[in-house]
Amino acid sequence: MTSLAQRRQHAWPDGARCVVGLTLDFDGTSLERGRGQLPFGARSHGRYSAKCGIPRFVDMFARHNVPWTFYVSGYDAEESPDLVRAIARSGVEIGSHGYLHEGVDPGDAEPELLERTHLLLTEITGIAPRGWRSPSGHKTARTLRKLRELGYVYDSSDKDFDLPYLARYDGEERSDYVCLPNNTSSLDDFPFYRVSYTPPSEVLNHWRQEFDAIYAEGGYYNLTFHPRVGYGSGSPARVAAVEGLIAYARQHEGVRFVGMLELAQWCLERPADWRRDWSGQ
Amino acid sequence: MTKVPVPVAVTVNLQGKTVELAHLGEDALFGRASYGKYAYAVGCERLFGLLDRHGIKATVFVPGAEAEANPDYIAALVQRGHEIAAHGWAMEELDAPQIDERALLERTHATLTRIVGHPPRGFRAPHGKLTRHTLGHLADLGYRYDASFQDDDHPYRLDADGGRGMIEVPHAEILIDATLYAQRQTHDRAMKTWREEIEAMHREQCMIALTLHPRSDYGSARASRIAALDGLLSWVRGLDGVSFLTCGEIADQF
Repeated sequence: MTSLAQRRQHAWPDGARCVVGLTLDFDGTSLERGRGQLPFGARSHGRYSAKCGIPRFVDMFARHNVPWTFYVSGYDAEESPDLVRAIARSGVEIGSHGYLHEGVDPGDAEPELLERTHLLLTEITGIAPRGWRSPSGHKTARTLRKLRELGYVYDSSDKDFDLPYLARYDGEERSDYVCLPNNTSSLDDFPFYRVSYTPPSEVLNHWRQEFDAIYAEGGYYNLTFHPRVGYGSGSPARVAAVEGLIAYARQHEGVRFVGMLELAQWCLERPADWRRDWSGQ
Repeated sequence: MTKVPVPVAVTVNLQGKTVELAHLGEDALFGRASYGKYAYAVGCERLFGLLDRHGIKATVFVPGAEAEANPDYIAALVQRGHEIAAHGWAMEELDAPQIDERALLERTHATLTRIVGHPPRGFRAPHGKLTRHTLGHLADLGYRYDASFQDDDHPYRLDADGGRGMIEVPHAEILIDATLYAQRQTHDRAMKTWREEIEAMHREQCMIALTLHPRSDYGSARASRIAALDGLLSWVRGLDGVSFLTCGEIADQF
């Protein structure tokens, strides 16, 4: 049997050839607050998210009628409960994203922060989140244990695979929890707008090249972007870059846009399809 | 004045050698610590000469100490139609410990008032750093607007943030020359980024704020960058519905 990493044809929803997950991480003022900074002046980029960036993305997604997934830090939800509630009520999945967008592993404090954010989002949206994305990328086995305890079925944080796969932690592969990898080096706005300061048209071209290669191969495309200014994609030109990617993907046959929870549930309904070869790991 | 569809503010942070003097003594301002001295030697006149040729009235944020050292030049900028606004005293970080923020803002205010002939109406925090008290102090001193935030497509009221009766005239990090030039982007790439961002902002009728520095390191004042900026400004002037306004005019329109 071909290993998952070598397999080139996958059973995606609706018999699609390629799935595209559009994931927006709120990243409001939680980052600055988490660092003990006042989000004023040059540190005010997070305020742009709720005021301008998120409404602009919501409009754009609605124009294209595509599903998307929204990862929200607990603090940002507390600051903008009406906005988060309205988006949840429109049918968009809300996943959790740390409390104060913790920039480093919070260690022993993490379980309480995960639970606090979980309860906050549940209370605000009326729906318990079942997906998580790590703020800043840190994740440990302790994170997984707590997420499972809270009823999560997936997270989208790992960088070690091109496809969804069943999670393994504490020495055991799980058939009730799936990892939906993302890649914050190439399929994310941050590296281009904060590290290399690349013009948006070139960023779009880069993401199109990523699409070409993924479409030709496994067919799992997970794009991560943010509604703030600065490192994010909130400005008109940058929302247009994400929009350009959507339009480009649409031109290809068999492309299916998915919500991340929808995809996770799809995978968990057929766990045998999403087992990795763990030898050598 | 009727509200213009797309206001464009050209703002200049007049950062000369106060940038270096925040860390070094006067005797050390040679070699790589001499970029700031370029401003009054060469850069300011290149930059304001270009803006004058385009008929653009800029909003110039001036540290009090720079105004005190160059009072005639600052007064002349007012005569040329530019708006002079406050930019701290000498590139302090307002949130640093042991700063008497109130005294610093008052001293800057008094110095600019004396040199310009009327009180400044606007403020931009050096390094973009404010404390939770800054806007309240500015409101007490009668400021009409702040221009330090980078968080909106349009001006907005600052009452909820402590600036009673004040307006925020925000700018955009990506339209600050230093954002790209400090990263050693080429002129072509910087202008490409600006055109793409501005074109999309214009399409959505956002306020457009350019932020320039008269310096030869992270600023726009070298001849080659002036040429790049010249081309950009000509293009912006040709966009439909665009009006170049000072930040004071934008705040008054709100």
